[in-house]
Amino acid sequence: MKTLGLIVSIIAGAFLMYGTIDMPDWGDPNSPASIHVSPRYITNTEVETATPNMVTSVLADYRGYDTLGETTVIFTAGMACILLLRRRGGVRKARR
Amino acid sequence: MNVPFDIIILLFVVMCAIAAITVRDLLSAVMILGAYSFFMCLMWAQLGAVDVAFTEASVSAGIGTILLVAAVLKTTRRTKD
Amino acid sequence: MDFIIAKYNYLIYVILMMIGFYAMIAKNNLIKKIIGMNIFQTAIILFFVSIAYKKGGATLPILTHADAHGEHAIQVAQYLNPLPHVLMLTAIVVSIATLGVALAIAIMMYRKYHTLEEDEILKAIK
Repeated sequence: MKTLGLIVSIIAGAFLMYGTIDMPDWGDPNSPASIHVSPRYITNTEVETATPNMVTSVLADYRGYDTLGETTVIFTAGMACILLLRRRGGVRKARR
Repeated sequence: MNVPFDIIILLFVVMCAIAAITVRDLLSAVMILGAYSFFMCLMWAQLGAVDVAFTEASVSAGIGTILLVAAVLKTTRRTKD
Repeated sequence: MDFIIAKYNYLIYVILMMIGFYAMIAKNNLIKKIIGMNIFQTAIILFFVSIAYKKGGATLPILTHADAHGEHAIQVAQYLNPLPHVLMLTAIVVSIATLGVALAIAIMMYRKYHTLEEDEILKAIK
């Protein structure tokens, strides 16, 4: 099992290292991730939301529904933890 | 020879990751994982992502380590691998 | 050698992902598997934050006071890319949620079978 896992993870890592050849250089200002969508957020965040911190304005103003869904995920995880770790002795006592 | 600061932090991160999965005591592994999270937080402050660094230091290195320590104390510390 | 100097950040993320993947597959203890999952998620977050970095004098994605009143035009290359930071903020909080649910399931299995090793649990189920 150990050697099989080592072989599988090394093969997956080799594929990913082959994939990084096509990535743009690290820290390139003209990479596609920095010239396509984010200039709109950088230039308009002061005019549209009046918040100096761009990360906060995108998190709470432009993508507020995303944050709402995230809180739903946290609530579901908390309810799952409570339902899993609950001691079930109290219910039986109440039934008697 | 001028070594960049990120290479040193990244070497510490990789060393902490290898140590966390090879040590034979679960409480030590959880503590090394907390150190790993703090080195990762330093790495993100170095990369300019200060909000991510704040969140990592408070949520992942704080609450995550507390949850793992509580789980290890409620179960057992011994392991075979 | 040129490739390694230009992209060492991506290579380290691949190495971290391999460590986490190996721990998830080959380790026998449930807590060790959860630690491997945590390392895997952190490697993915490191990859996304590395995409957001810009060399050449870019600062944090917070507007300085001189730009705040519209006296100067905002240069895009002057600030880091804020979008991957936002997505990874969400990813860190979701990773804590998955960690909590996984630990709750591990504690439940310890209460029922009194062990955390995977092969002993499989033997007890049969």
